[in-house]
Amino acid sequence: MAAHDSEGTILVFAQFQSKVDEGFWHRLSSLKLNKLGIDDSPIPITGFYAPWSHPQVSNHLTLLTQSLPTELSEQSSTAATSHGNRNRCPVQGTLYNMNTIESFYALDKRSLLKEEAKKIWDDIHTGKAVEDSAVLSRFLLISFADLKNWTFHYWFAFPALVLDPPATVVDLRRASEYFSLEEAESVSAACNEWRNSSFTAEVPFFLVSIDPNSHATVKHLKDWETCQSDGHKLLFGFYDPCHLPNNPGWPLRNFLALICVRWSLKSVRFLCYRENRGFADLELSLVGEALITVPQGWRDHQCLPNAVGWEHNKGRQVSRCINLAKSMDPTRLAISAADLNLKLMRWRALPSLNLDALSSIKCLLLGAGTLGCQVARMLLAWGVRKITLLDNGRVAMSNPLRQSLYTLDDCLNGGEFKATAAVKSLTRIFPAVDAEGIVMAIPMPGHPVPNHVEDSVLEDCRRLHDLIDSHDAVFLLTDTRESRWLPTLLCANTNKIAITAALGFDSFLVMRHGAGPFSSNHDFKAEAANALSAIGNFARTDSDERLRLGCYFCNDVVAPIDSTANRTLDQQCTVTRPGLAPIAAALAVELLVGILHHPRGIFADGEVANSSSNGSSEQPLGILPHQIRGSLSQFSQMTLVGHSSNSCTACSRTVVSEYQERGMEFIIQAINHPTYLEDLTGLTELMKSASSFNLDWDNDTDLEDDDCVQV
Amino acid sequence: MDILSWNGTLSSSDFRLAACAFMEKWKSVMSAFPPWSWVTCAKQPWVASHDVEGYLSLENIILRSIEEEHDELSCPQKEETSCSEKEEPIDIATLVQSNCSKVPYYDLHIIYSASYRVPVLFFRAYYSDGEPLGFNEIEKDLPAHSAKALLDSKWTYITQEEHPYLNRPWFKLHPCGTSEWMKLLFHADVSVPKNGVAIELYVVSWLSVVGQVVGLRIPLEMLNQL
Repeated sequence: MAAHDSEGTILVFAQFQSKVDEGFWHRLSSLKLNKLGIDDSPIPITGFYAPWSHPQVSNHLTLLTQSLPTELSEQSSTAATSHGNRNRCPVQGTLYNMNTIESFYALDKRSLLKEEAKKIWDDIHTGKAVEDSAVLSRFLLISFADLKNWTFHYWFAFPALVLDPPATVVDLRRASEYFSLEEAESVSAACNEWRNSSFTAEVPFFLVSIDPNSHATVKHLKDWETCQSDGHKLLFGFYDPCHLPNNPGWPLRNFLALICVRWSLKSVRFLCYRENRGFADLELSLVGEALITVPQGWRDHQCLPNAVGWEHNKGRQVSRCINLAKSMDPTRLAISAADLNLKLMRWRALPSLNLDALSSIKCLLLGAGTLGCQVARMLLAWGVRKITLLDNGRVAMSNPLRQSLYTLDDCLNGGEFKATAAVKSLTRIFPAVDAEGIVMAIPMPGHPVPNHVEDSVLEDCRRLHDLIDSHDAVFLLTDTRESRWLPTLLCANTNKIAITAALGFDSFLVMRHGAGPFSSNHDFKAEAANALSAIGNFARTDSDERLRLGCYFCNDVVAPIDSTANRTLDQQCTVTRPGLAPIAAALAVELLVGILHHPRGIFADGEVANSSSNGSSEQPLGILPHQIRGSLSQFSQMTLVGHSSNSCTACSRTVVSEYQERGMEFIIQAINHPTYLEDLTGLTELMKSASSFNLDWDNDTDLEDDDCVQV
Repeated sequence: MDILSWNGTLSSSDFRLAACAFMEKWKSVMSAFPPWSWVTCAKQPWVASHDVEGYLSLENIILRSIEEEHDELSCPQKEETSCSEKEEPIDIATLVQSNCSKVPYYDLHIIYSASYRVPVLFFRAYYSDGEPLGFNEIEKDLPAHSAKALLDSKWTYITQEEHPYLNRPWFKLHPCGTSEWMKLLFHADVSVPKNGVAIELYVVSWLSVVGQVVGLRIPLEMLNQL
């Protein structure tokens, strides 16, 4: 629009632009939840704006946390605002917050706008707008707060009374071009004074009176009478939030309406007051002359003119929507807090921490008792998200004390299934966990099954096979030795990471099983291995076995049988010192983390503490042991290495290949015939030859040789 | 205070002092920006100190210059679940602006940490419609040269934590490296061995480093002792 157009082009105003601070939505949510409930009566709110001051962007009508009344007080929010903040001129508004999206859409926007416009119209006619001019910029806000998704739909309206015919503008130009130099200086000074005084800083509409000596004064609207002296120039000034060089801001519309009604002027010289760096800037401010044709009936208070003012959103008259889940949804906040913790660890102490490996690994926990509960919690703390717990027991009254996922409620009515209760507990702790509970018993060798349940046992075997197949790491945390047999075999078969924890009364064992017998080990004579592997790994020499780390059963001389007589680990677990389980569980998880960070993973050699040959002093997490055996009675712990045994009933080549060939038939045979495994692996022979030297053995028995402690 | 024995931290009353000195300096030097304000807060009952609790606040500022072209492509279209006003007559006196410049606004708070005994910068960024910027977007918004260097450095680490007074997630620069590099910073200042550590310059010096994380450049005049 040309600045010096003397034909009188229509005066086109730039709309107010809204900006809602996140704090406003937070407070609205909390008001809604705590105080308002389903009450949807209008709420008085306060908006804030200021003259334009940023070089490139218009100033906004802003809503802040304090725009809403606090929950405690009923008083209108204007009392709570800090006065004298020149950059926050308060403006009254009304909020209609609806309870459903349908009612939000169904609001009669036309009549709401009319109602708000009427308030302005009334204030103009009664003279209130002259006393308290900020009411001219009264606004309206409709909203719907979706507190399940943390999404807020909203729409502002800045009611403007429509002049019909519209006002035209003659001569719109920079204020510096309009005023003479002395006038400009004086106007700037007067405006700055107005803006700096806490009495007037928030008064957005004012009069500028310039006497014949180019001396300017800024006055309140109510002092209009005193500005009528001859020879005085009079401008109607207002805080203009708009930055455009050819359009005045929205507040001018109602200002013109006021001037028109109260003072019946047909020609209005206005000043769009804008600032730069906190001071009046007459290069940016505009001065123009508006010509008004007073519409028919405007003198009549009862005759409400039309109003417009629904805010445009990207050029269209539609509502807006904002999603604040990231900062308001507690689950999301919990997730980012958890991630933060680990990231901090990586930043400050452990740059090689592989958080992706931890968050993507799938862990299967066999047993949801004292060990299972603690392992699950430790995994959560390390950022593991996928945890499956398998247990066929129910929570008993004595459990909650030692099994850290359960409370008394889980024990009632016969007790919930542990697997189910554990999952619920984990989800309460951290909603983003992907936890699954399986209620199932693990088939055990030496516990023969009657024919009629053989099918369901087979089914359980298959299920266990599938579970192990679909996870990356398996924790063997059950309370009997024989229940560890099948999982060990299955892990050896699929080369999954298997970690065992076993408790005695005051001692524990935590160990990681070695790789399976048919796994490819790249470090071992690669050329030979390649040639052999072409036919499927069946031609390995026996020396292979010794390089594999052993499993839980490798150190056994006997196969796992029904364990009631012996008093070693795993067999009297109902009585253990309470401190053992947390210690063992914690070590088990740290061992897993170690494996995940070791370049050779499951194939990593077993390291021993305080050994001078530790090449892994370079490993940031420290050594990666094979076995940790601890004793509470000594408050001591030691790291050991044990290699796999050719006669192992669980992980030896013989047994695993038998399983690969005969599958479930083999399993059932092992379950039903206690000596089958020993016969198969040649342990029976070994036992026979050992017992023939019984007398000699007795003489040489040395109970202080820790390395020979039978598990 | 002797530089050699100084550990890089400051007490909460010294923070208040330094904060006031900083606010004054800012007003005179950084006139392009609005002034910082001191926000007083209700004292938490378990805090033993007798000082008035509060923090420095500078809100709603634009830190980058905005390109004038309004790129339609950069405006993500939100879902069309909005209601529209078809009944309102087209008003010829209303300027219809279809620009959608996504200008990020920043809120900066400088809050004293009693456990680390250093100031901590809390900040958040949001567009004019209130939509908050995530960390990735803030990173993109940073001036290129400062972003990479700072974010990879062992001295600065941006985390998202609950604001101690507002109870909403804000980004903050983790304070655990602060005392170390503040010590280095003051060591590098030649006037210090002679005059001792001028603690009232703490906040200004600190912000000259930390401000770069959000792309706020503190001119050298700010650092001159009065």
